[in-house]
Amino acid sequence: MHARKVLSTPEDQGVGVVAALEALGSSLGPVTRLVHGTTVVTNLLLERTGARVVLCATAGATDLLELRRQDRASLYDLSVQHPAPLVAAADVIAVDERRGVRGVERALTDAQVELVMRAVLALRPEVVVISFLHAYADDAHERRLAQALREASPDLTVVVATAVLPEIREYERTATAVAEGYARPGVGRYLDRLGERLRRAGFPAPAVMTSGGGMRNAADAAQHAASLALSGPAGGVVGAAAVLRAAGIADALTIDIGGTSADAGLILAGEPLVEPGGSVAGVPIALPRVLVETVSAGGGSIAWVDEGGALRVGPRSAGARPGPVAFGRGGTEPTVTDAQVVLGRIGSGGWSGGVALDREAAHAAVARLAARLGATVERTAAAVVRAADAEMARALRRVSVDRGVDPRDCALVGFGGGGPLHACALADALAMRTVLVPPFAGVLSAVGLAIAPERREAAASLLVRTAALDSHAFRAACDALAARVSGHERRWQVRVRYEGQGHELEVAAAPGDSGREIADRFEQTHRTLYGFTLPRAVECVALRHVASDPGARAAFRRDPLGPPFDARGLVDRGGPAPGDVLRGPLAVTLPDATLWVAEGWTARALAIGGWRLDRDTP
Amino acid sequence: MSRHDLDPLELSVWSSLVAMIAEEMGSVLTRGALSPNIRERRDASCALFDSGGRMVAQAAHIPVHLGALPEAVRAVRGSTPRAGDVFLLNSPWQGGSHLPDLTMIEAISDGAGGIAGYAVVRAHHADVGGMSPGSMPQGATELVQEGLVLPPVRLERVGVPDPELLALILANVRTPDERRGDLAAQRAACEVGARGWRALLAQHGAARLAEVTDGLLDYAERRARARLTALEGATGTAEDALEGDGVSEQDVPLSVALSVRSGALHLDFTGTSPMVRGNVNCPIQVTRAAALFVLRSLLPEDVPTNEGIARPIHISAPDDCCLAARAPAAVAAGNVEMSQRITDLLFAAFAAAGVDVPAQGQGTMNNITFGGAGWTFYETLGGGQGASAKGPGPDAVHVGMSNTRNTPIESLERAYPLVIERYAVRRGSGGAGRHRGGDGVVRAYRVLEPCTVTLLTERRRRAPRGAAGGGDGACGENLLNGEPLPAKCRRELQPGDVVELRTPGGGGWGVPARA
Repeated sequence: MHARKVLSTPEDQGVGVVAALEALGSSLGPVTRLVHGTTVVTNLLLERTGARVVLCATAGATDLLELRRQDRASLYDLSVQHPAPLVAAADVIAVDERRGVRGVERALTDAQVELVMRAVLALRPEVVVISFLHAYADDAHERRLAQALREASPDLTVVVATAVLPEIREYERTATAVAEGYARPGVGRYLDRLGERLRRAGFPAPAVMTSGGGMRNAADAAQHAASLALSGPAGGVVGAAAVLRAAGIADALTIDIGGTSADAGLILAGEPLVEPGGSVAGVPIALPRVLVETVSAGGGSIAWVDEGGALRVGPRSAGARPGPVAFGRGGTEPTVTDAQVVLGRIGSGGWSGGVALDREAAHAAVARLAARLGATVERTAAAVVRAADAEMARALRRVSVDRGVDPRDCALVGFGGGGPLHACALADALAMRTVLVPPFAGVLSAVGLAIAPERREAAASLLVRTAALDSHAFRAACDALAARVSGHERRWQVRVRYEGQGHELEVAAAPGDSGREIADRFEQTHRTLYGFTLPRAVECVALRHVASDPGARAAFRRDPLGPPFDARGLVDRGGPAPGDVLRGPLAVTLPDATLWVAEGWTARALAIGGWRLDRDTP
Repeated sequence: MSRHDLDPLELSVWSSLVAMIAEEMGSVLTRGALSPNIRERRDASCALFDSGGRMVAQAAHIPVHLGALPEAVRAVRGSTPRAGDVFLLNSPWQGGSHLPDLTMIEAISDGAGGIAGYAVVRAHHADVGGMSPGSMPQGATELVQEGLVLPPVRLERVGVPDPELLALILANVRTPDERRGDLAAQRAACEVGARGWRALLAQHGAARLAEVTDGLLDYAERRARARLTALEGATGTAEDALEGDGVSEQDVPLSVALSVRSGALHLDFTGTSPMVRGNVNCPIQVTRAAALFVLRSLLPEDVPTNEGIARPIHISAPDDCCLAARAPAAVAAGNVEMSQRITDLLFAAFAAAGVDVPAQGQGTMNNITFGGAGWTFYETLGGGQGASAKGPGPDAVHVGMSNTRNTPIESLERAYPLVIERYAVRRGSGGAGRHRGGDGVVRAYRVLEPCTVTLLTERRRRAPRGAAGGGDGACGENLLNGEPLPAKCRRELQPGDVVELRTPGGGGWGVPARA
């Protein structure tokens, strides 16, 4: 395996992609498959540079995007505003139609379609999104208006909300569909340009990573822009899952630690946990995504003393520039990385791009903080690292305990620039006994891209009591979804709840299952998660289908290891041999990160590259 | 008593550890609960107390629960709890707020027969019996009309459930199945809290945990006092009124004198109305919660939520005051509407003292309850937030003591015989100003079956006031088929009737710029 990191090119990320491929140069053989992870959708939403969208909504419910869920942006700071909706109030068109729970209450007339079309076209939008109440149960009105608009104006991009997310809850569905419309033209243009650039350089068309950890070909991805919004952190978890499988471990928590934040994830039975939900820049995107909890704690997080006299770490970060004091790029405030340097856990050289470390400057910065706290430099440095660890441990607990998973039954995969440094302490905080540090820990998300399966999804609303669902009807529902997407491996997930509950649990199902079987599986999961079941009807809410073709088979082998050094003496001992055993406390320089083997831990170099660390039995 | 300061190097680590447990409780509660009011709107709070009954952490959902939970734990500690007992209570005279808030408290076992601490889950149930569906009656004059009153009673004795008590409770409410489900979710959330606290105890020992609690509470107190010290010497008075007590339309006057002395906040409510016949009275713990919320909003967001913040607050109220209600007063609306008015009153007093605070927000929760054969539906509506020196007031949000979410139209219509005809921003209802006040909300409900509607609303006559020269927000309006309804009322409805609420706008801030 070869890895290259190049600087990003914000004006057009595609330039950087081609530069990276060229940097790999002759080490590449002929390229048959090219996969791409991109933050282009995230950036469109953050920078508010998407398309002009007109929204057609049921009359009487045209302000859903402004009303949100009615809770305020901050509980105690009363002046904080939610981010403005992606559609201006003047660009929302009321459509006189209404479906109720029992059927159509107000039909959509031809005259109304005509009227709405004229109103839409008069606004000259790039995109129109159609989202009607209860359309998850019956999308006839949405489709009818869409067809009329497409016929009248073939260049107009028309997005039907239930085609993006066919699920109950009008705000989340509408907001997700609007995000899709907002991002779609920009994503299309970006992927076109990238495809063209790659073609000229002799590479195949790219596949693109989705928030759900799968791959879509470029044409398909351009039509599912919202499904790319949270793909960034997904790649790392998918990569971690592949390394886990290679190492023969089934369940794990993952922690991806960068400069300003850390992402926690969960892998069960070798698969990243995929759940609906999540948001970007205040825009909810209720599509399936690889579960990731982000906290503002990373290597660049700044340590400070608050007015209550307490040592605090983050959320402010020194970022890449000026970065930690030790990097000598103008940083003056002590960061988590500086504390690690003081503790002797980060060696010079080998560190992310071979930055020479200014130990004295780091020490002086932490010493200034220590003086304010009346503590020694070493104790202060240790406390800074512990405070960052506490935030990250909280994220790890959230992804596991909230889902009924006991961290003690899991391994911890630590990656990103800081993951291998913090992994032992995080494992100790959660009473976990095994840590895995993957090969290429600093660029694991790229590994995830390379091996992610080609994966297509289809979903439908399935509002029915399990008692009324026989195996034939369920098979028919599964088959209908299967006909929409192709792939070798097929899986079905049903979202199920007690009638009246607002939160659904996802349970696996197969065509031909009976409602009874689905209900049993649901009750089992409910008991595991919440410790109780109810004498109450169980209902299905939605059916989701994933069809995938296996991704590239990953063949891991050992990566070249830098010389390890003793934690205290920093004595060069030469490179470890395969199967070498190192006892903590000790730091190991990796090609793109530093591994800290804490006291009480033993590290073994793995045949697949990377390291496995085990807690010594007390 | 010698007190060890918690090492400042470890404060944030510990703060994070205990907050995490309360968060996990909240997550289990909202995921497991059945009623929209708890699962969608999150009208609930979770907290963790130490063995001495001090609140160590609370998951932030609803400000009105903020300062009120310690009283509930105090009531349980007065009932000779044993380790493993699980209590349920709602009596405002014994730790409760108003009857729909059922508070479950587990006396956490330390594994050796002792009590290690308390896990507390308060959730607003959609019905607890009484004269009106939804148990938020209009016109009640004594507590027993408002629902089943529970002093601290044991749902479980040393871990053994008492099915007869549960049956008794469920026999006295209109929607027993839903209550059973919500109580099961509360129980699961308590267990998560108990487990988390026991794990800390096992790892660190009781003595260390007590030291840590001291340190965390002292720290929060220091942060609160730091802010108050900056306001040293501030004094201000304010007056306001509720628009009737639910029985009569007559104003219920409120008055406060505020002063900041020696790093403490002194609030004297002399001049406030005595207890009234209707149900806008509130127990003193609700008054305390409102004071705590106002102080909290002056503090940085990151100050941990524990009992330490409350220490520098000193409240005095006359003996017969409606803000320190006693038996047998009715209180259902006190928790929701009086609490809002107290926050308005306190912000006004801070403004009079020269402290930079936002203009008044909608100042009401717009409580609306529908009840028919076998169903009840309760929700509250957002409105305009007041503008401030920093910017315009947010539109269509909950202000002050509430922060519940809306009920999705599609969920609501599937669960109840109601249709939402209109749900919209009430344009132009925010007060004018250099910074405009936030706009209110319009929500119109058409009923499909005969049922009753009960309204407990405010700011229908007295508009939310602007600040620093800004204009007032628009008053709220209640309509039945286009005809005005009183602020607090109950009506029988027939299929096809439409009830519409237009919620108040927030006050503007600063003199409007000339066009």
